[in-house]
Amino acid sequence: MSKTNNLFRPAEYFKPTSIKEAVELLLQFGDKGKLVAGGTDVQIMKDPQTEALVDITGLGLNYIQSNDKGLRIGAASVFTDIGTSPVINAGPYHIVAKAAREIGTPQIRNLGTIGGNICNATPSADSAPALLVLDAILIITGPSGEKSVNITDFFLGVRKNALEMGEILTEIRLPVFPPNTETVFIKKGRVATADLAVVNVAIRLTMTSDNTCQDVRIALGAVAPTPIRAIEAETMLWGEKPNEALLERAAVRASEEIKPISDVRSSADYRTTLSRVLVERALREGTSKAFA
Amino acid sequence: MMNVIININKENYHARIAPYHTLREVLREKLGFTDVKCGCNEGKCGACTVLVDGRPIVSCMMLAAQSQGKEITTIKGLDKDDKLRLLIENFISHGAIQCGYCTPGMLVSAKALLDRNPDPDEKEVRTAISGNICRCTGYVQIVEAILATATEINE
Repeated sequence: MSKTNNLFRPAEYFKPTSIKEAVELLLQFGDKGKLVAGGTDVQIMKDPQTEALVDITGLGLNYIQSNDKGLRIGAASVFTDIGTSPVINAGPYHIVAKAAREIGTPQIRNLGTIGGNICNATPSADSAPALLVLDAILIITGPSGEKSVNITDFFLGVRKNALEMGEILTEIRLPVFPPNTETVFIKKGRVATADLAVVNVAIRLTMTSDNTCQDVRIALGAVAPTPIRAIEAETMLWGEKPNEALLERAAVRASEEIKPISDVRSSADYRTTLSRVLVERALREGTSKAFA
Repeated sequence: MMNVIININKENYHARIAPYHTLREVLREKLGFTDVKCGCNEGKCGACTVLVDGRPIVSCMMLAAQSQGKEITTIKGLDKDDKLRLLIENFISHGAIQCGYCTPGMLVSAKALLDRNPDPDEKEVRTAISGNICRCTGYVQIVEAILATATEINE
């Protein structure tokens, strides 16, 4: 077989038919068990510790449902379906679809799942900023049943998430937003497609009827150990009528809240500048749509 | 090891695989589908692109075990497909093939595009092949060949 220098040799493959079964398998194998859906992160990591692969594509976790309480996305939904979904492309949720369309390549998008992207928990995860500004709630099923976790509490560090042993992310829930809500997502890589983000940014603005910012969220990825919200920049805009100078200052503040590193894709300096530029661009786009 | 049955190009194949074997390894090295190429082994270059239930995926990222119960199509399986034959003619006449290594994967992606979008614009074509890297042509001829095929199909 392949001559790739490969220590990834799990001896067992399971495809559970119930979440309960999947949880039990994860508990059984502990650190040596790995969930696999699309496989696009598992295959890259090729963790030599892995003894068992638990395939969760047979659990019916690929769905997109919308009702008057909000949006529910099954964790095993692939990015192609999210990117083309009419309900996700409508209204403030559209940034989740846009991010989905800009991840990887068409082939990767036909395999990769939103749950995998979130749980892999890399700083540059493209679905994260959009979900952060949309106040996503993560539904997690584990040995003690089902619980909800705010996405702001989920990313703990580089590739570290808040899942405990035996827990599986099963659903992502987004609330309903008031009508005067605009969202923007911008991702910049080194090249136009098929690249990891050098910086990715999402914002949400909910405006009052007299054009002040009622609710502001600004999230950035690839500029800190986890995707983050720029809380101080958000606070600057609360209750304010946006004007150019204010948006500029908020963007500068956001670029001071990040902790970028220099790596193969970019330098810390460039990321700082790019963050400021993209936050400002996103805020301008959001406010001009709000006032249109 | 596990015994599996994989449906490839409308036929069932038996294979003995390990859990960690990728679909590409099993297709190419166990079952002799050398039309499925290996490029980067990381899912980025698209040389190993095949269709799974009609959708293009990178077979180096899918576990062979996960291909059970699905319909796999390699370029060989599209031999009699009208769209594919037109694509090949146009690839040749437009100079879209040089070394040929990206070509099987590129054709699979192009064929999948025309299946779901019979009248793509240039941007849609470029997006559809954005997961297939070509080191020879610079993509212009490939894009033209795909657009020409779409035009011919729609006449």
